[in-house]
Amino acid sequence: MAVQRPLPYATPETRPFWGYTKQHELRMQKCLDCGHIRWPAGMFCPKCLSDKSEWVKLSGKGSVYTFGITHYIYDKWYTDKVPYVVAVIELAEGPHMMGNVTGFKHEDIKVGSPVEIYFDDANEEFSLPTWRPPK
Amino acid sequence: MESIKDKVCIVGVGYTPQGRIPNRSALSFHVEAARNAILDAGLTPKDMDGILAQPATGDPTVNAWQISQLLGFHPRFGADQSAMGATAGGMVFHAAAALIYGLASYVVCTYGESPLSGGYGAGAYGRGAGDRAAFGWYGANTGYSLAARRGIAKFETGPETWKEIAVNQRKWANLNPRAMMHSKKMTYEDYYNQKFYVEPFRLYDICLVSDSGRAFVMTTAERAKSLRHRPVYVMGVGQYHPAWDPAQADHLAGPIGAVPSGEEAFRMAGVGVKDVDAAEIYDCFTYTVELSLMGYGFLGPGEGKDFFKNGRTAPGGEFPVNTSGGLLSESYQMGFTPLTEGVVQLQGAAGDRQMGPKTNTKEPEIILVSGNGGVLQTHATVILRR
Repeated sequence: MAVQRPLPYATPETRPFWGYTKQHELRMQKCLDCGHIRWPAGMFCPKCLSDKSEWVKLSGKGSVYTFGITHYIYDKWYTDKVPYVVAVIELAEGPHMMGNVTGFKHEDIKVGSPVEIYFDDANEEFSLPTWRPPK
Repeated sequence: MESIKDKVCIVGVGYTPQGRIPNRSALSFHVEAARNAILDAGLTPKDMDGILAQPATGDPTVNAWQISQLLGFHPRFGADQSAMGATAGGMVFHAAAALIYGLASYVVCTYGESPLSGGYGAGAYGRGAGDRAAFGWYGANTGYSLAARRGIAKFETGPETWKEIAVNQRKWANLNPRAMMHSKKMTYEDYYNQKFYVEPFRLYDICLVSDSGRAFVMTTAERAKSLRHRPVYVMGVGQYHPAWDPAQADHLAGPIGAVPSGEEAFRMAGVGVKDVDAAEIYDCFTYTVELSLMGYGFLGPGEGKDFFKNGRTAPGGEFPVNTSGGLLSESYQMGFTPLTEGVVQLQGAAGDRQMGPKTNTKEPEIILVSGNGGVLQTHATVILRR
């Protein structure tokens, strides 16, 4: 049997997010009362506790807040992927989110390196927001 | 907060076999550790009326009431409690409150886990929760490696500092027959020769995984006087939980919860960092030791390279840290490993690793203990004295 790729675990909170990424759009919830853009997804604004929000489209630009280079194979699917970069991306709009970074020589990636988004179509349900050096 | 200074004591510690121990449930480790702690204090089931248990990772068969039943007592006070690695420190708070207000007379606090031998918690440390596996983010290794990389970017730290922490602690483990790494020496070369797990961490930056339990018993200072061991007093406590998931946290390079929880504990204890003879620091990773001691004010950002060198925190050093070998080299019982080691050192019951003439170190009067959970998400500080 083919090794299965680990996939996101969509919850009622994150299902809209994964719906948008499938269309290659990065969207997060913006509070309609105080304007705060939040991540992770949730019912309420963590700044003002408002329950009113809309999913706004983000620029897909950001920088590497921090990163690690994974050498150990935690899941068979990664056997031919190691070493790979796991990072926290600081989005231009503020929120931090995890993601993989590609397209850098590992010795060139730095905390603060600018990155832009592309979408890795993992299967028919999920496209993963992924990051590379800006063109 | 009302001061609890010197009102309660830790009066017994319970150990179990630790390492790869087949055919043992997590529950059995809780029960054995609790039994041994009760016996160590010189108590019987008839004396016991309080219990706090840290349930094993996801194991529904472990709870406080099952443990008290198996040890033959009916608690008046008890709970399952978890703040991950900060749980043991948090239990000291809750037990203290219960004891001071007369809700209980003797409280046993317990931990047990069997992740190596197929217990319910097996694999929990390496699991990719939620969306994480899709990004190759697994367990604590990834989260703490990302924290450490942020540290490297913000102040001078890295393997040069961390190797000192790993090697110094191993020297303590070499004096501790219970330690999983008791017979295994470590040189700087050994440290660098290990492969990366999640870079910047090599194998010896990462704590052990153990089948084991650990427990301690608390009572009032008044009752402690007539028990078996020299009482170990709780001088100060503090908690602070930055809480944010590492993917959203902005404290990965500090300041972590050690700062406010340390300030609170020192204020209550009426002492400062200069009065502390040794520290038992929650060391899930080498970097956590550096970051926690920084938070308490023992060293400034970037000073780690010098702070730990020349065996300063090793046997024979002027400031012993993690004198059992710690989570890195003794055994992983979450916050129970550092807390119980602080107690045993102050009891004078630490055997070959006892601080004082035996290890060419200071006779300890005051020891600081930290607990840290999640990825720098929870923090508890306990200051103990003899």
